[in-house]
Amino acid sequence: MADDKDVLRDVWFGRIPTCFTLNQDEVTEREAEPYYLLLPRVSYLTLVTDKVKKHFHKVMRAEDVEEMWFEYEGTPLKWHYPIGVLFDLHASNTVLPWSIIVHFKNFPDRDLLHCPSNSVIEAHFMSSIKEADALKHKSQVVNDMQKKDHKQLWMGLQNDKFDQFWAMNRKLMEYSTEDGGFRYIPFRIYQTTSDRPFIQKLFRPVSADGSMHTLGDLLKEMDPTALPNEGGQKRYQVVIHGIEPLLETPLQWLSEHLSHPDNFLHICIIPTPTD
Amino acid sequence: HSMGLSVTPAQTAAWKKQIFEQLNERTKRELDNFRHYEQAIEQSVWVKKGTM
Repeated sequence: MADDKDVLRDVWFGRIPTCFTLNQDEVTEREAEPYYLLLPRVSYLTLVTDKVKKHFHKVMRAEDVEEMWFEYEGTPLKWHYPIGVLFDLHASNTVLPWSIIVHFKNFPDRDLLHCPSNSVIEAHFMSSIKEADALKHKSQVVNDMQKKDHKQLWMGLQNDKFDQFWAMNRKLMEYSTEDGGFRYIPFRIYQTTSDRPFIQKLFRPVSADGSMHTLGDLLKEMDPTALPNEGGQKRYQVVIHGIEPLLETPLQWLSEHLSHPDNFLHICIIPTPTD
Repeated sequence: HSMGLSVTPAQTAAWKKQIFEQLNERTKRELDNFRHYEQAIEQSVWVKKGTM
């Protein structure tokens, strides 16, 4: 029988099989073969694609190469969202491998942040962790950590070291039994049908009468259209790490076990496939 | 401190069983046919050889 610790491993070791193809308008000296990789769901595109960059640079002249960026079916992919979120939001219910187009020119400044080095990803990741801890513990845990502890979280993610990461991250997941959970749950709700990037508000894991809030309670307040309508028809899928937890799942448990390494629970609301 | 919602297997709630099952299905769907693909992040693996 599985236990809760196995969920942490399953989440960490989730992979998306991906096929990278060079954009056909790029100038190359010879034909560019596609490149296949298993991408960690919990990491960031620009952090794990050095091999892709090298592979395509081999067939290109240096003067034809600008900053690399990625596209899926016309949508530029935001490297600052976790890979699993990008996949669940844009490509779930499609055939694997995930087919991503690689670009080296015409960087879409309006859609994407530049990512000149890994230190930009590290800064983004650490600021998410700090924001999450401000919500969970008024920043008390992250502020009590030393610089080397912050580095341990980042290096754990960068080098795919589960034990190294969780030895430190477990401190960010603690709470007192009398509280029954975090102060607020760090979450983000993404919808493809909305212009705003995501919903993020204050929401407590425990209700005023002391009962545990569920995933359904959160959605009812933040995005009621995501819930099945009165006829019980499911118009949307509520996806976290590629799975659909039941709406009665306690939010505190989800936050502890299905959060990304940035300590946010990323929830994707996608239309139910019709076929 | 922490993990206050853990329960023994005999009492495993339906919502939790659902998560375990779906994670297994996810592995089958997303990984089992693609294990020959290269990993994006190399793990340095130390293989100890020799006689005891």
